[in-house]
Amino acid sequence: MTDSMLALIAEELGRIAADKGEALPALTPDSVFLDGGLPIDSLDLATLLVVLEQRTGQDPFRAGFRHFTTLGELAALYAVPA
Amino acid sequence: MTADRPSWIHPGFRLIDGEGTFGWSELAALPIPAGGVVFGNRVSTVVAALAAAQRDDTPLRLARHGEASMDPSARTGFSVTLESSGTTGTPKRITHNFNRLSDRLKGLSDVGARWLLTYEPAAFAGLQVILTAAAAGALLVSVPGGGVAELVRASRQHAVTHVSGTPSFWRGFLMAAGDAVPPLRSVTLGGEAADQPLLDRLRQTFPEARLRHIYASTEAGALFAVADGRAGFPAEWLSEGRDGVALRIRDGVLEVRSPRAMLAAPGTGDGWLDTGDLVEVAGDRVLFAGRRDGLVNVGGVKVSPEAVEQRLLAVPGVADAAVVPVANPITGFLLTATVVPAPGGDEAALRAALRAATADLVPAARPRVLTLAAHIPLGATGKKSRKGLP
Repeated sequence: MTDSMLALIAEELGRIAADKGEALPALTPDSVFLDGGLPIDSLDLATLLVVLEQRTGQDPFRAGFRHFTTLGELAALYAVPA
Repeated sequence: MTADRPSWIHPGFRLIDGEGTFGWSELAALPIPAGGVVFGNRVSTVVAALAAAQRDDTPLRLARHGEASMDPSARTGFSVTLESSGTTGTPKRITHNFNRLSDRLKGLSDVGARWLLTYEPAAFAGLQVILTAAAAGALLVSVPGGGVAELVRASRQHAVTHVSGTPSFWRGFLMAAGDAVPPLRSVTLGGEAADQPLLDRLRQTFPEARLRHIYASTEAGALFAVADGRAGFPAEWLSEGRDGVALRIRDGVLEVRSPRAMLAAPGTGDGWLDTGDLVEVAGDRVLFAGRRDGLVNVGGVKVSPEAVEQRLLAVPGVADAAVVPVANPITGFLLTATVVPAPGGDEAALRAALRAATADLVPAARPRVLTLAAHIPLGATGKKSRKGLP
């Protein structure tokens, strides 16, 4: 389910930001990870992907990189059950 | 009066350093701190300090790690000492013969080139980009302290044509730029092994660009560039050498003999330098396979899982700890920690203490995912398994 995946991404992203003492703006499926609109860097994004693998058991990047820029695009990579 | 322009700076060289714009006359007017040690966080300061040290025939050290490393140099005569990106313990200092660094860049004039600096100015790779742009008479754009979003913005604003960065930088750049990528003429990767999926994406995104990945190290200098768009390097270079550099494999480790190695390189005495990089031959290709010393590359920074683990083990309330690198598609690897709490402790307090134990490390060296567990999973040998997930 993309909606529950989006909620999971928002929850973990919020935790990562909070660890740095940052607060996230309102997130939408169109929020872009690294364009400067969110207070996260590549290490934070890498952390998110590792945590998502732990929580979902899925690694959509196992066979190589798949392009994503927004929250919605990332959520869609996990939408098909493994 | 403006000092004579050094021969390694082309008259056309221009620098945008944050808010400031510099040509040679502005650079020559910058004040240089006495003592031979300069905090190398600004390109303008680095270029001015190099020119002054060369003119005065005095040693220069470019510091990267703050005031602790500002003690003066014991050398005499002009040389350049850089600090390695080591993340645990004292950073290694590597002294280079400046003429050897700059000589091979002479005659490569390209005044239309517009370079973006993605490295720290005082890092070896950053200095290479600075010297390349200076020799070419190019424009160099630097965004001090800028993250990938600021670098993408600067690349668009200044119509950048040449970019050199780590594979981790490029992954972030592609994500942040989306479809609005600048029309680059030259795409260079270095600092980490370049993987085939990333090389393929860059080729697809920048079909007109010259695509190269560089193999270099702080100790050995720039060694060679691979321009065929494939990961690793051709196995035939092991017999033929490349770009003046001889290459061989000993016990699975790449060894090099280079005319551009650091001064007084620690080697076997016959000029061969042990890179510590594990390699394997696969058909007609030599591929990189990590580090012999167990260091892992987190977004271009070499970090020691073992050293971080020792720090966590020293935290009161920790019964056991394992720090393990985990692969990810953004920074290559990331450190994760599993900690077994001693009985009766408070979880929140323990997490805070664990975080504090690594707070002085660079962000790449801190364990980013911390799991509390009843025991540490052991590998088949009965040792903690530090092997990263595939």
